[in-house]
Amino acid sequence: MSGPIPDTPADPVEDYLDQLLITLSGSPRQVRHTLAEVEAHLRDAVDEGVAAGLTQSQAQMLAVARMGPVHEVTGRAPALARPSLALARRIALTGALVGGVGFLAIGAAGLVARVLLAVKGTAFLTAPWPSGSYTRADCSHWLAGDPGTHSCVTAMLADHAGDFLLQATAAGLLGLIALAAYLTLRQRWQDRATRTALPAGTAEALGAVLAALAALACVGQAVDTEMVQHGVGAGVPWSLGAAAAAAAVVFALGLWRALRRPATA
Amino acid sequence: MRSEKLKGHLDLLLMSVLSRGPGHGYEVITRLRDRSDGAFELPEGTVYPALHRLEEGGLLASGWHVVSGRRRRIYRLTAAGEAALAEQSKQWREFSGSVARVLGTPAAKPALRPGIRGLTA
Repeated sequence: MSGPIPDTPADPVEDYLDQLLITLSGSPRQVRHTLAEVEAHLRDAVDEGVAAGLTQSQAQMLAVARMGPVHEVTGRAPALARPSLALARRIALTGALVGGVGFLAIGAAGLVARVLLAVKGTAFLTAPWPSGSYTRADCSHWLAGDPGTHSCVTAMLADHAGDFLLQATAAGLLGLIALAAYLTLRQRWQDRATRTALPAGTAEALGAVLAALAALACVGQAVDTEMVQHGVGAGVPWSLGAAAAAAAVVFALGLWRALRRPATA
Repeated sequence: MRSEKLKGHLDLLLMSVLSRGPGHGYEVITRLRDRSDGAFELPEGTVYPALHRLEEGGLLASGWHVVSGRRRRIYRLTAAGEAALAEQSKQWREFSGSVARVLGTPAAKPALRPGIRGLTA
């Protein structure tokens, strides 16, 4: 039983040809021909380097360096320099993926908040407004929504917690829709130009950075709330921070996979 | 020579190299380097878009052959390429000759006006 053929380890020529393959545009025949003649060129250059006394590895690196960047062979500026339909599609896919996971993370934060609400109560989840910042009419509105209580503050906390959970649920649904759109469009736009219009892992890198920044901000706010307000209202930033951190991990794993297999990004 | 300067004349140089006989990409760049005594150093990958462009323009033709155990795309100059080479070579010689004449003329001292000539005497 034969398994997959492993990649040749640390072969700059193979790496260069991989990069060229995913960058070349044109008909399949043009791509094959260019790839074949560049490979023959690189192998000739490696043979010449070895004959001149270089090691195989040194000769490979020299051959690739003398060939120049991949865009010299393709004769085109890097993709980012020329707006195109493929680039627009890739940006749309990136936006759908990053936005979808982001909104889904907010939805997940809602689930975390529900647990915190059940365990620690509404005062942990949301902070009450300062006294004097709300009116009697506000109180009536909150109390009407929570007939089980006679305390304006308790009703206010319940109302705010309910608002957060509702908004988080809506965000989660929006995230699912965005991810469904992402998967549908990715299935439809499978041409190589679209897949390679941005460097492999761009969406994942962007998502990881944004999610990590969001996690830092939310956790920072949660810690500050714990210290200054003794935990009152810390539940929302904790739940958002946890969801953002999880999203950052998901994106980081996706980035790692995309960089290992750039052609399937 | 800076590769950017060289790129402007690459088509002419490639056709000239191939006018001495057909060759594949690596052979072309080697001949170019040898015939310029190493002066023409440019990223080797740049020859491929130029070769493909010349072929699309009908100035070169190519075919696949096995040479030294490797399958290679061999380029040769077409009749239209020979005519283009002759024309572009002529234009280049006229242009470079004119530039050489300008650069080769020593800067003449401006003639001094009579009054000033008296002051310097």
